[in-house]
Amino acid sequence: MINEMLLQFAHWMEAQPYSQMLVAGYFSYNWVEATHVLTLMLSIGSLFVIDLRMIGLILTEVPASKLAERLHKPMMIGFVIMFITGALLVYAKPVETIQSLWFRIKMILLVLAFINAWVFNARMKAADGTWDMDPVAPKALRTGAIISLLLWCGVVTLGRYIPYDWVDCVNTDNPTILWAAGCVDQLNAL
Amino acid sequence: MNNEKKWSDQEIAAIGSSVVIVGSLVLYWVLQFESTIELLELAYGSVNLFNNPLVF
Amino acid sequence: MLNLLLSQYRKTTILFLVLILIAILEAFEVRTSIHGNTLPYFEWLKNSSWLGIIGTTYGSVYATVEAVHLISMAIIGGTVLVADLRLLGIILTDIPSETITRGTHKVFRNALIFAVASGIFCAAGVADKVYYMPVFWIKMLALIAGSCFVFLVKQPLLNTVPHDEIRPWTLRLLAVCSLLVWFTVAATGRWIGFS
Repeated sequence: MINEMLLQFAHWMEAQPYSQMLVAGYFSYNWVEATHVLTLMLSIGSLFVIDLRMIGLILTEVPASKLAERLHKPMMIGFVIMFITGALLVYAKPVETIQSLWFRIKMILLVLAFINAWVFNARMKAADGTWDMDPVAPKALRTGAIISLLLWCGVVTLGRYIPYDWVDCVNTDNPTILWAAGCVDQLNAL
Repeated sequence: MNNEKKWSDQEIAAIGSSVVIVGSLVLYWVLQFESTIELLELAYGSVNLFNNPLVF
Repeated sequence: MLNLLLSQYRKTTILFLVLILIAILEAFEVRTSIHGNTLPYFEWLKNSSWLGIIGTTYGSVYATVEAVHLISMAIIGGTVLVADLRLLGIILTDIPSETITRGTHKVFRNALIFAVASGIFCAAGVADKVYYMPVFWIKMLALIAGSCFVFLVKQPLLNTVPHDEIRPWTLRLLAVCSLLVWFTVAATGRWIGFS
């Protein structure tokens, strides 16, 4: 049901003139894609600096919560750019992306990463002060930082998998994968 | 105060290498920009990033 | 005279000589002739070396190493941005820039090692293609220039001299140079995939 609706939505997007222009334009798709990838340095770059600080691998002489607070703005600028360019990339190739197993897992990991970030922030605010100058943050925050590092590594890896066609609808007949990837037509044909 | 200070070896080397690297990279990007504009003009007749004759 | 130059202005002299050497090598078109002779190595890298064989046989391994390359790039970007935006006086202005420079360098270096190692694997898988791409060679030149700049010039200066004894404009120039060079390495790298 939801797979059918998503596919319908994807077909509707694909029919939009701007979606087609984005793909057919000389460099437009490449530029959006390059911006999406290069902004990793700003978004995930800042985030990893904060996470690594919590584990005690970087900038141990800088108060941890101050670093997290100061890098919040550049990081959010990065994530806003990532989100906009990412949405444009989906808009440009909606059917491939929505029927991509990797894209779907990536979205789940993204949600988990944001929940983790939210919990992490709340914990950091609650544990204010005392540990700030310790080279390693308290255990709860350290765990949060490690989870964040792993989740975002997963997000980047899955993002990199999206353009590959190993489990594209036409390349698999495993019903579970077809269902998870939302390959409605192939599933009906089985 | 700074002006009376002696130029140290490390600082001259740093400025020298930065100027060379920044200079060549800026030149590279300007040339890239120009050739891209030319290519787009050839392709579309005018520089128009979003009006694509292949579609319309 | 030469003794004075070599003792007091050793780095400057070396830089000058290196630039002269590059100019001479370019004048005699040494780079172009070396480039012409390296094709067999690139073909070997793709078809016969185990790096190239793994990269071309197992698409999933190749994509995963590409992801490692991207994650290293993100960490390089993060550390470079933090260190250089501090030198430019944009972020973390209440923390001494010496602390930031020292604190980020080790992670930067390790991420660069990972990026180069994964980059060699990625290049091996498509070695016969990248050989013909100007953008690949631009990336290599920028990478070599950037590494020499950071490890031989920028860090030695910033680690040995207190930053308030360095002219503010020198610090800014260093920061802009480092930002530009690592941006170029990343951007040309992304463009290799499109060409």
